[in-house]
Amino acid sequence: MSFYDEVQELRGRYPEDSRSAVLPALRLAQEKHGWLSREALEETADALEVTPAFCYSVATFYDMLHLEPVGRHTIDVCTNLPCALCGAQSVVEAFESELGIRAGETTADGEITLRAVECLGGCGYATVVAVDDRYRQHVTAETVPEIVGEIDG
Amino acid sequence: MAEHKVLLAGTDEHDLTQLAEYRAIGGYRGVEKARAMTPDELIDELQRATLRGRGGAGFPMGRKASLIDRKSAKPKYLVVNADESEPGAFKDREVMARAPHRLIEGCLISAHAIESRDVFIYIRGEYLTEYEILTAAVEQAREAGILGDVQITVHRGAGAYICGEETAMLESLEGKRGQPRPRPPFPPIQGLYMAPTQINNVCTIATVPVILELGAEEFAKTGVPSSPGTAIFSISGNVVRPGNYELDLGTPMRELIYEHAGGVAGGRELKAVVPGGSSVPALTPDQIDVPLDYDSLGAIGTFFGAASLIVVDDRCCMVQLALRSTKFYMHESCGKCTPCRVGTRWMVQILESIENGTATHADLDLLDNIGDNILGKVLCALGEFAVYPVASYLHKWRDEFVAHIEQGGCPFHGSSSLDGILAPSDQHAQTPVGEEALV
Amino acid sequence: MSTELVRVTIDERDVHVPKGTGIVETALAAGVEIPVFCYEPRLGAPIGACRMCLVEVEGMPKLQTGCTLTAQDGMVVKTARTSTRAAQGQNGTLEFILVNHPLDCPVCDKGGECPLQDLTFRYGPGNTRMSFDKLTFEKPVPISPTISLDRERCILCYRCTRFSESVSEDGQLVAANRGALSVITTFEDVPYTGAFTGNVTELCPVGALLPTQYRFEGRPWEIVDVPTVCGLCPVGCNVHATVREGKVKRILSRNHPEIDEGWICDKGRFAFTHLRAEDRLTQPLQRVRRHGLEPVSWEQAVDEAERLLRGARGRIVTALSGSETVEHAYALGKLLRVGLDSHQAMLPEEISGGLDAYRLPLSAIRDADVVVVLGDVPIVERAPVVDLWIKAARRNGARVVDDANDPAVAEAERVVLVWSGPGGRGGSTVAKLAEKLGLAGREGCGAFYLPETPNGRGVADAWAACCDEEGEAVESIGLLVVSGDEAAADENVRALAEQAEATIVLSMFGGLSAGWADLVLPGTGYLERDGTFVNLEGRLQRLRRTVDPPCPDELEWIAQLAARFEVDVAPYTAAVFAEVSERVYGGLAFGEVGERAPLRGYPEAPERIGREALPEPPQKARRGEIRLVAYRPLFSGAAVERVTELQFQRPQPELELSADDARRRKIATGDLVTVGSNGSAITLPARVNRRLRAGIARVALEHANGLHGVVEVAKAEAEVTA
Ligand SMILES: Cc1cc2nc3c(=O)[nH]c(=O)nc-3n(C[C@H](O)[C@H](O)[C@H](O)COP(=O)(O)O)c2cc1C
Ligand code: SF4
Ligand code: FES
Repeated sequence: MSFYDEVQELRGRYPEDSRSAVLPALRLAQEKHGWLSREALEETADALEVTPAFCYSVATFYDMLHLEPVGRHTIDVCTNLPCALCGAQSVVEAFESELGIRAGETTADGEITLRAVECLGGCGYATVVAVDDRYRQHVTAETVPEIVGEIDG
Repeated sequence: MAEHKVLLAGTDEHDLTQLAEYRAIGGYRGVEKARAMTPDELIDELQRATLRGRGGAGFPMGRKASLIDRKSAKPKYLVVNADESEPGAFKDREVMARAPHRLIEGCLISAHAIESRDVFIYIRGEYLTEYEILTAAVEQAREAGILGDVQITVHRGAGAYICGEETAMLESLEGKRGQPRPRPPFPPIQGLYMAPTQINNVCTIATVPVILELGAEEFAKTGVPSSPGTAIFSISGNVVRPGNYELDLGTPMRELIYEHAGGVAGGRELKAVVPGGSSVPALTPDQIDVPLDYDSLGAIGTFFGAASLIVVDDRCCMVQLALRSTKFYMHESCGKCTPCRVGTRWMVQILESIENGTATHADLDLLDNIGDNILGKVLCALGEFAVYPVASYLHKWRDEFVAHIEQGGCPFHGSSSLDGILAPSDQHAQTPVGEEALV
Repeated sequence: MSTELVRVTIDERDVHVPKGTGIVETALAAGVEIPVFCYEPRLGAPIGACRMCLVEVEGMPKLQTGCTLTAQDGMVVKTARTSTRAAQGQNGTLEFILVNHPLDCPVCDKGGECPLQDLTFRYGPGNTRMSFDKLTFEKPVPISPTISLDRERCILCYRCTRFSESVSEDGQLVAANRGALSVITTFEDVPYTGAFTGNVTELCPVGALLPTQYRFEGRPWEIVDVPTVCGLCPVGCNVHATVREGKVKRILSRNHPEIDEGWICDKGRFAFTHLRAEDRLTQPLQRVRRHGLEPVSWEQAVDEAERLLRGARGRIVTALSGSETVEHAYALGKLLRVGLDSHQAMLPEEISGGLDAYRLPLSAIRDADVVVVLGDVPIVERAPVVDLWIKAARRNGARVVDDANDPAVAEAERVVLVWSGPGGRGGSTVAKLAEKLGLAGREGCGAFYLPETPNGRGVADAWAACCDEEGEAVESIGLLVVSGDEAAADENVRALAEQAEATIVLSMFGGLSAGWADLVLPGTGYLERDGTFVNLEGRLQRLRRTVDPPCPDELEWIAQLAARFEVDVAPYTAAVFAEVSERVYGGLAFGEVGERAPLRGYPEAPERIGREALPEPPQKARRGEIRLVAYRPLFSGAAVERVTELQFQRPQPELELSADDARRRKIATGDLVTVGSNGSAITLPARVNRRLRAGIARVALEHANGLHGVVEVAKAEAEVTA
C-alpha cells in the first residue's frame, strides 16, 4: 500500500474533517524516512490535506518525532528522579563510553543515537532504558556492554 | 496488611491478556449487568460507589458521568487517559500489560453509562509493548462480539507529558499540538470534537467492572469512606523492593514503604517522600504515618496525585532534587501560558545558581515569589506541578538551600545521589528552529 | 449569546449585559479596562494564554482570566483596580512577559504604539529581578519579503498563528517547539505567502512581526494616520494611511465591521509604494515628430489637449478604468459629453444595477445559513476580503455550496449568493437567480457580484448622470481618451488606439503609455485623491487625500479644459459631488458620506452604460471537456508590478486542475501538462486542486498566453525532470 493510501486508512479511523490522524501519519512517515525530513513532512501534509507548516508545528511539539536525522537504533536512558536516584547517571556514562559519543549524539556510522530522556514510566525497575522503543529494566553500568553488543550483533 | 488485588486480581495466576482466561475468572460479566441497566440507573450506581478519579484530582467518576450532556445531538465520547507520564508513576502500564480486558470492560460499562459509542484510549507513545497488548485485546474482544456497537480506538501519543492533562489530551487527539484549553467550557459539555466527553484515568475505568461485580454499596465499604476501593501504588527510588502494590485506600504510608517495599535500601536514612508523583509537595520522615487516601494526604498539605511514591534517602541533595524536577517541568511546559513557560525556566536558572554557589539569600525569596506568581495564575496545573515540590523542598529543607549559599556551593561536594545527573533539556543535539542555548 | 440580561458587578459598579458577554467587554461597559494581550475576539474563541487579564471573582478560589470568563447573573468581579490579588497576579504576569523581552523600545518600530509598552508603563514593575541570560534568537528574520520577525520581542500571544489558522485559514504561520523554546515560524524557509499575511503585523501586540517597508521609517510623534478607503479592489476596505513628511509610509486597517472587520489584503497594505515608482509621471508628455514623447509644461499640455479635443468633436471615445473617483468620471464625462458631444465610453466590464434589490452588507455573509458561490474565478483574487467572510460563514456552520439547486438552498433561512465571474453580466445574472429563489425582501438574504474594477459602478453612474443626451455611436474614432492605468494596460484599448486618429492617455506610469499616445497626462493614485467610490455592496465611500500628488489633480485641468468649451466644472470635489449627488445619491452632502459609511440605497440611479463591454455568457463545458478560466490575479496590475517586495506573491505559472480531470488524464501535481486550443498551446506544471469542480481548469491570466474557453489538457510527452 502506498504511503498516501495508508494515511487515508488512518484518517478513516477518526471522524471526517478531523485532523486526528496527524500523529499516526507522522509516525508512519518517520518509520518510512527514518526522521521527519522536509520531504517527509511535505508528503504527510499532502496526504492529510493540511499544510506542511501544520505538520511541522505538530511534530516539533512531541519528543518522539524527530526533526533531525537519528541513528538506525535509538537508546533512550531515563534520567528522571526515580531512575536518577538509583544511578541512571552511571548508566548514561557507561553508554557514552561504550559508544564513544555523548548523550544527544549519534555514532559516526549513523547506527546508534543515545539520549537521556524524561521518565519512561518504569520507575520501579530503575534504570529504565528504551532500545528502539523496547524497554530494558534494571539496567546498570555493568549490563550496558551487553545491550550495546546485542544491537551491534 | 497484605495486598488487596482487585484491579490486578488474577494477574498472578492467569494470563489475563487472553480473553478466554479473563472470562474464565468472571470477566465481562459486569458489562452484561451494566447493559441490562438504563444509563440513568448505571450512572446512579456509579455515583453511589463514589469512586474517585485515580488520575490525580480525585474527582468522583460517577459525578463526572452525570455531568455529561447526554441530550446533546452530538456523539458522546469516552476518553481513557493512559498517558501516564508523571515521574514515579507506572501503575496504568501494569494494568494495560496484565489486565487489558478489565480496562476494556470498564470502557464498555462507562460508555454505556454516558451513551457513547466512541471510546478513545490515549496511550503514551513510549508504551509500545502495552499498546500492542491492548490493541490485541481490543481485537479479541471485537472478534468475540463483546464490543457491540462500541468502537474502541487506541491512540498513541508521541512524547509529551502535558498530553496527560485532559484538555491537552483532547487537543492532541484532535491532531493538534497538545496545549490545554481554557475551562469552562468543561469536557462533559464541550470536549473532544466539541462534543460531550468523559475523561478518566486507566485505573479509574478499570475499577468500574469491580463496582458492577460487587455492587456500589459493597464497593463503597472498601478502602475508607471518603475514598473507597483500592489503588495501585507505584513506589520507586531508594527502597528495597520498588514496584506496584495494590492496597486498600487508607493503608498507612509507613506500611507501604517499610513492609511492602522493604524500607529504605542499603540501610540508609529516609530523607523525603514525594507521595503523588514528582509534582506534589514532599513529606519529611515524621509525616509518613499518614493514611494513603485523598483527604488524609490533603490534610497534611500534599496530594494523593498519581498514587506514586518516590522515596529519597539521605544521600540526596535537595537543591539537585529541585533542579532536576524543575528541568523536567520546564522541558514539558507546553509553552502556551506565560507564567509556566517563562517561570519554569527562570526557576531552573535560579536553582542552578544556588547549586553552583553563585546565588544570594535574596534569590531564595525570589524563587519563592516566582512560585507564588505561577501558582493559581496558570492555564493548567503543569505550572503548579513545577512549583509544589520545589516550594516544599525550600521550606522543609531550607537549611540545605542556605548552606549552598553560605558555602558557595553544594555541601555534598559531589557525593549526592543526584550529582551530575543529565536532563534531556541539557542535550543540544537536536536544534529546533530558532533555538539557542535553553538556559 | 442570549438576549437575557444579567447583572454583573465590576469593581463595585453594576452593569447589565446579555448573558454570556465576555468579562472584558462587560468591564468595558462598566467603564473598566482589563488589560489583554492574547485576547482578540476576531480570532475566535479566547485561549487564555498570556494571563494578563487576571481578575478576582467572588466565590472562585483562584484568579480567573477575564478574557475566557463570561457574564453570569450576580457575578461579582474585581479587577486589579480594586483587588490586590488581581493586581499582584497581573504584575507577576507582566514581569514574566518582560523577562525575555529585550526592551529595545528605542529602536523598535512599534515603540510609541505598542500595547506592551503602554501596559508596562501603566502596570509594570520599575525594575527587573531577572539577572540571568534572556533567551536570545537571531533577529530579525524575514518570514517573507514584506514581514520580518523578531523572536526576542515575541511574547507568544499566538494572535498571528490563530489568524493564520482560523481567519485566513492559510495554515502557514505556526508555532514550533514546546515550552520556553516555542517560536513562531513558517515551514522551513518558505515565505509566508497569501492574500492576507500583513494582518499579522497589526495583530502583533509587540514589535515582533513588523512590515519591512516600515522599518525605521517613522516614529509615532512624526506621523499622522489619515482615514481613507483602499482603491485597489471593489471591496473598498477602510484603511488608514500613515503619512510622514508628505509620504505614505504604511497602510493600516480601519475596521469597518460591515465591510472588512479590520482585515485588509496584502495588495491594499503593501502596494502603496507604487506612488513612488520610478516611472511615475509628474509631467505631461507630448509626441514630437521623430522624437517620441517629450516632457512639456502643463499649459502646453492643456493647450494640446484642447486642440485634440476640438479636432475630434463628436468623434471622441473614452476608455474608462473603473478606478476613477465618481467626481473624476463625472467631470470628464461632462467635459466630453456636454462640451464635445461625445457620449461613447467603455468600461472594462459590464455594470448592472440589477442587484440593488438584493443589497446586504458583506458581513451578512458570515451570518448566512447557506452561501452559494457561483463562478470559477477564485474569490480571493477578485475581492479578497469576501473570501474571509465566506470562511467565517463556514466556521459558523454555514454550508457553502457551488450550485443554486443544492437542496440546502431551499431549506435555508438566510441565503447569500456570491457571483465571482467570469461572465455574470455585471450582476444581472445573479440578480435573476436571486429573484428566482425568492430572496427579495427576505431577512439576511441577498446577493453579491464581484466586479473586476474598484469603482466601476460609481464611474458608470457618474458618466450616465453627467448628461441627459444619449448621442450617436461614433463611426470613426477621432480621438481616444484613455482614462487610467487599467484602461491603458488593456489590450482591447490598445487595439482601439490603433484605429484612433489620436490618443490622449491619462496615466500614473510612463511605462504604460510610451509609444502609442499622442499626449500623456500624469494621473493621481487613490491615496492622493479626494472623492467617492462605490464598492461591490453598492456602498458609497469617501476617499481622502492622504498625500499631495506630484502633479495637479485631475479635476484641476478637467475644469480648465471644460471652461474652454463653456462647460461648468468646478475644480473642487465637494462641488462636483454635490452635482452628482443631486442626480444619483439623493442629494446627500459630501460631508455626510461618512468616515465609516453606512450602506444606503440610491433610488434615483440612472441607466447604466457599458453594453459594449458585454462578455459572452460562459459556455457550459460538456462531459469530459475542460474549460479554462484565465483569471486576473489579485497580485497583478500596474501598482503591484511596481512593488519589488510583492513580486513573491505573484502566481506561479501552473495549471489548476480538478481531482476528477487530473485522475482521468493520469496527471499528478507537478507533472507538466500541455493546454491547447485552436493550434496554440502552452506547457505548464499542473496542480491538482481537490476543491475545484470538474470540467474547470484555472490559470493566472499572465500565464494563459491568451488561451481561454474550452481547451485540451494532456500530460506533456517528454517530461523535463532531472
Ligand atoms: C500536567 C498534567 C498531567 C497529567 N497527567 C495525567 C496522566 O498522565 N494520567 C492521568 O490519568 N491524569 C493526568 N492528569 C490529570 C488529568 O487532567 C485528569 O484530571 C484525569 O485524567 C481525570 O481522570 P480521573 O478523573 O479518572 O482521575 C494530568 C493533569 C495535569 C495538569
Ligand atoms: S501551565 Fe504550562 S503546560 Fe499548562 S498551559 Fe500553561 S504553559 Fe502550558
Ligand atoms: S488576554 Fe486573557 S489570557 Fe491573554
